[in-house]
Amino acid sequence: MAWYDEDSWLTAAFSPRLSTVAVALTLVLVLPVLLHLFIYRRATPTTLPSLLLLGPSGAGKTALLTLTERDAAAPTHTSTAPLAIEALLPPRLTPASAHYRSPGDPAYERARRFLLVDTPGHGKLRHFATAQLASPANVRGIVFMIDAASVADEAGLNEAAEYLHDVLLTLQKRYTGARTSKGPVEIPVLIAANKSDLFTALPPQLVQINLEKAITQVRKSKAQGLKDSGVALAADDDALDEEREWLGEGGDGPFEFRQMEEVGTSVKVRGGNVLGGDGPDVKDWFAWIAQQL
Amino acid sequence: MLDTFEILTTSGVVLWSRTYVPVGASIINSLIREVFIEERIPPPSDAGQKPTYKKEGYTLKWTTAKDLGLIFVVRGCLAVYQSLVHLTWIDKLLDNVRALFAGIFEEQLKKGHTSVVDTDTFGPYFDRQVQELERANEATPNVKLTPPSSTENDSAEDNAPPVLQKPQRPLYDTSADSTPVPTPDTSRPTTPAHTHLVTAKGGPGPKGKLSRRDKKKVAALNSAPASSGDEGSARKKGKASAKKNRVWGEFGAEEEDPSVVLDYSQGDIQNSNPRTEALEEIKSETWGRKTAKGEFVLKDLDEEMDEIIAEQNAKRESLAYSKESKGLVGSSIGAIGGLFRNVVGGKTLTKEDLAKPLKGMEEHLLRKNVAREAAVRLCDSVERDLVGLKTGNFTTIESTIRTSMESALTKILTPTNSLDLLREISTINTSQSRPYVLSIVGVNGVGKSTNLSKIAFFLLQNHHRVLIAAADTFRSGAVEQLRVHVRNLKELSAREGGQVDIFEKGYGKDAANIAADAVKYAAANNFNVVLIDTAGRRHNDARLMSSLEKFGKLANPDKIFMVGEALVGSDSVAQARNFNASFGPGRGLDGFVISKCDTVGDMVGTLVSMVHATGIPVVFLGVGQQYGDLRGLNVRSVCMLLMS
Repeated sequence: MAWYDEDSWLTAAFSPRLSTVAVALTLVLVLPVLLHLFIYRRATPTTLPSLLLLGPSGAGKTALLTLTERDAAAPTHTSTAPLAIEALLPPRLTPASAHYRSPGDPAYERARRFLLVDTPGHGKLRHFATAQLASPANVRGIVFMIDAASVADEAGLNEAAEYLHDVLLTLQKRYTGARTSKGPVEIPVLIAANKSDLFTALPPQLVQINLEKAITQVRKSKAQGLKDSGVALAADDDALDEEREWLGEGGDGPFEFRQMEEVGTSVKVRGGNVLGGDGPDVKDWFAWIAQQL
Repeated sequence: MLDTFEILTTSGVVLWSRTYVPVGASIINSLIREVFIEERIPPPSDAGQKPTYKKEGYTLKWTTAKDLGLIFVVRGCLAVYQSLVHLTWIDKLLDNVRALFAGIFEEQLKKGHTSVVDTDTFGPYFDRQVQELERANEATPNVKLTPPSSTENDSAEDNAPPVLQKPQRPLYDTSADSTPVPTPDTSRPTTPAHTHLVTAKGGPGPKGKLSRRDKKKVAALNSAPASSGDEGSARKKGKASAKKNRVWGEFGAEEEDPSVVLDYSQGDIQNSNPRTEALEEIKSETWGRKTAKGEFVLKDLDEEMDEIIAEQNAKRESLAYSKESKGLVGSSIGAIGGLFRNVVGGKTLTKEDLAKPLKGMEEHLLRKNVAREAAVRLCDSVERDLVGLKTGNFTTIESTIRTSMESALTKILTPTNSLDLLREISTINTSQSRPYVLSIVGVNGVGKSTNLSKIAFFLLQNHHRVLIAAADTFRSGAVEQLRVHVRNLKELSAREGGQVDIFEKGYGKDAANIAADAVKYAAANNFNVVLIDTAGRRHNDARLMSSLEKFGKLANPDKIFMVGEALVGSDSVAQARNFNASFGPGRGLDGFVISKCDTVGDMVGTLVSMVHATGIPVVFLGVGQQYGDLRGLNVRSVCMLLMS
């Protein structure tokens, strides 16, 4: 039965039969509905505000994440992949945006939900974090975890300071590179000095001072250091020809976190501990998170 | 014996663990750091065994389930693991547990935006597996010694399909035979599942799916949980069998009979249906006939476990080898659909899909002067990343591979700790009040002296007092060359405030002693930094290379950099390896200086080859003839050059 025969399907498709009309009608009616459903399903779940967890390896990022999700921190190991979880603020805290809502309001409950995005802290795997930073979609804040005990010695301090320097510089570039005069949405940073239950841990004030000093050092040696290979190797490529930028007020004098407020980034240092004999102490951090939501 | 068995996600959360001897988490952390992130130990390519990792008296073995983002790690004491029997046993345990865990918790694992997986029910399964394998190990050592089925292991996945079938079988046979059941021939519950595996393996792809659907049906029919995924039922099952489990362990074989007989009747009623289905499915296969004539189907934990394992394996197989479509129509529709999905995205990638584009990618890398070994490794890691993944919307396989390759390159080139030479110098100078010693090694004519003087110029600009030691006492003109450099640098740095001098002892002396003397001289004369130039040597000349060990010990440099040319091809791998190994145990290179980068255009593959060979980062690039033509490494730009 070829297509040109009288009783072929093609002929039937063009003839005024009831079945043909019925098929055509159902198609016309059902297709938009299906299309709508398809697009609707695809597009919805992207609107939760998110918080980024950054910081050097071993600071306790994943532990905090598990603590947020369940009530006790699960045992963790070095992460090699990012992880996002949907978290809920602890019951006593009220998100800043829902301050005037009553607890029964469904919008109140919705405002308490946020995404917590954990990133690997290992030096080779920070591109996950930088990718998140480069295009922050609905990022309300950054929690930069550091190990308050390891900041006491040189190596740990330097690692944390270098990473923090890069993060703050990215945020600053984002502000100074903005096209509009209004500037992009602020992304505040919380430096969460973890493991404060340990004997060797530094108090938050000292952590702040040490980090500021170390970042000044990082900035100084970056200024004196060699230029990147990027310009030399690909001289014709405009994308790589980015001018250098210095963190803080033009890169002069000692760096302070206060200087970051000029570029739309407030930096706070709070202490706490995820694990510990007396149970976790993270209420300062969550209070900060509640302010950002 | 086992110390710990842990199941963790790639994002670092421990999902389930069984600890026999509590030890800190640091060993598994260092496994992850060194093997998974820095890839320092290349996975051994022998198909038989899982890779091992030894650290501080512990041995670790691991396997991964990439699609679910899981890592399974076994840790044990070193001494016990030296027997081969134990090793094979552990391999099998890893494989079985992987299959089991994936089968039971797959749905929970695939859920987004959560790290919680309720794994309380997994304990009995694991204990049973261990018991079973232990018993099998004691009872039939000859079976044990057959190669375990680690063939789907990621590190050994390049096995050909026909080879696969052979080592596959012992796993199921042993796990089946090891459970002492009164009528082992007729009532083997695993056999239908086993044939599932075989059919799926030999036959076309859709079978794999079909068998899974069967399982679902079985699950629906039986009130007794027979299938994967259903968490509640799995828990019930787990508890019920946990009790039985204890009885078995304590009283041995006598206790088994009643329980098994009890199960006979039930199993018969419940599972007549699925068994016939299985039979139908196997019809086309000669394999199935022989094995599927069992009369009774038992339902208990063992069987459930085996089923899950078999199903998981069947799925893997069918995923990996789902190419042969039936007829002309089927194949053409499949091809069109594949093309369509290739454009639109949403295609699940298999090894075959990736093979051709990856070959192209490898060739592309080779054209960029990446050594073959490094290119193959990069392609392998990309393949490992992508097999089983779905392409995103409106992305082709090629572009997916591209992104994955870019991130693989970024990962390999990014140093673990960024090297800040200036800060390190000031740290050493202030904290230990001694000069910072930096030495440079390399093959002849790669530009050691030139790069040394470039580094000296860089340090002089930062107001350091630099002593250059001429430890090349072999090549005529080497000392004079450095003298000229020092004269130039003196003039250039006079205004800047730096100070530079040369330390020379003429020709023919022992280089190591000169270097050691230079360090002493620098300490006495208030120099900050000592730069030691060495003689160029062929990396495959054992006599010349052996003197490096003494040099490393006597001069004891803070940093040893190796200079390599960007022009060199695949020899770069051997160069980097030999130089890295030449300083004796416990000492290696600290970084590479890649010279002559301006002469190769975008063919900067040498960087990748050298880093690949040793895992040591590239610190500087030489990009010209002037003293100022020294650059730090910009990973992003190098990646872009390599991918262009």
